[in-house]
Amino acid sequence: MKQGPQALFLASPSGGQRFALFHPAAGVATARGAVLYIHPFAEEMNKSRRMAALQARALAQAGFDVLQLDLLGCGDSSGDFGDASWTAWVQDVLLGVQWLRQQTSAPLWLWGLRAGCLLAVDAARQLAEPVHFLFWQPSTNGKLVLQQFLRLKAASELLGGQAKGVVQALRDQLAQGESVEVAGYRLAAGLAHGLEQATLTPIAPAAGAQLVWLEVSTRADVAFSPVSLQSQAAWQQSGYALHSQIVTGPAFWQTTEIEEAPALLEATTVAMTPAFISA
Amino acid sequence: MNVTDEVLRILDEVLSLNGRAARFDRNTPLLGAIPELDSMAVVTLITSLEEQLGLLVDDDEIDGATFATVGSLVDFVSAKLV
Repeated sequence: MKQGPQALFLASPSGGQRFALFHPAAGVATARGAVLYIHPFAEEMNKSRRMAALQARALAQAGFDVLQLDLLGCGDSSGDFGDASWTAWVQDVLLGVQWLRQQTSAPLWLWGLRAGCLLAVDAARQLAEPVHFLFWQPSTNGKLVLQQFLRLKAASELLGGQAKGVVQALRDQLAQGESVEVAGYRLAAGLAHGLEQATLTPIAPAAGAQLVWLEVSTRADVAFSPVSLQSQAAWQQSGYALHSQIVTGPAFWQTTEIEEAPALLEATTVAMTPAFISA
Repeated sequence: MNVTDEVLRILDEVLSLNGRAARFDRNTPLLGAIPELDSMAVVTLITSLEEQLGLLVDDDEIDGATFATVGSLVDFVSAKLV
């Protein structure tokens, strides 16, 4: 029997509700894993909603319990984007984990896309239990995410060659603790600062911890960027069993149209499934 | 790496051109001629060039002229890669 996803609202201890979609594991008595999806930053979240839903469904079919969570001020959760801070988002991730833990005691996976990976790592630092990671096209440095986001504000000025002043003015405002308005999003200083400090630094792994690192590319001669390779090596050296792969597909989190990367869906399910057969 | 091929591939991907970029040459006009290339798409394009080709673009290095044609964009990227 196919069971569809269940929409639910999680009550946050700091107030308000977080919207979540739960995809229960299908066809197994006990779930193979408990997966929490952590979406990327701002507009990238909307662009990638479809891919996240497709993957969540595929993983549920493969026997995983999957929870997709909308962070404070994002999607259908309460609050405005401008109310969000990095700390509040980390708390939201922990709230999602807590909810999953009421459903299952299966091994925990934090699945991030882009900046969601940075959030996954920061949240995992506060968890007492072993965590496996699934990274989709991870951002390795929050500073770059912020820089690229602020550049959106400069978009029109960029073409007139005036962008430098615009981005600097935004940075000054944030430094003074003020929020800034970028591409329809109000960005609070607390979110900007937390994001800027986030890096994809490995946390001490539990025995047998897995890291699945997947990227997509439309290039024929695919190779990880030096930045990706450096980060992967750091995770491996700290003790994670690394599975890394580049598959063919569009950068669906930023393309003009909503696009799909079927090869990524397949590679993800395959990479996560044998992890449990061998474990 | 053939810079022109890389730039055309990234253009096609970012703007969802479905292969139309394969027919572009150096003289193909971009800004103002391709409706998909609005100011937001320009930012995405810069970000993709940075991430995929490993270059770092300073915001005061670029203006409308950089994105005037395929040729001007390729020349800009080539200069950054040196």
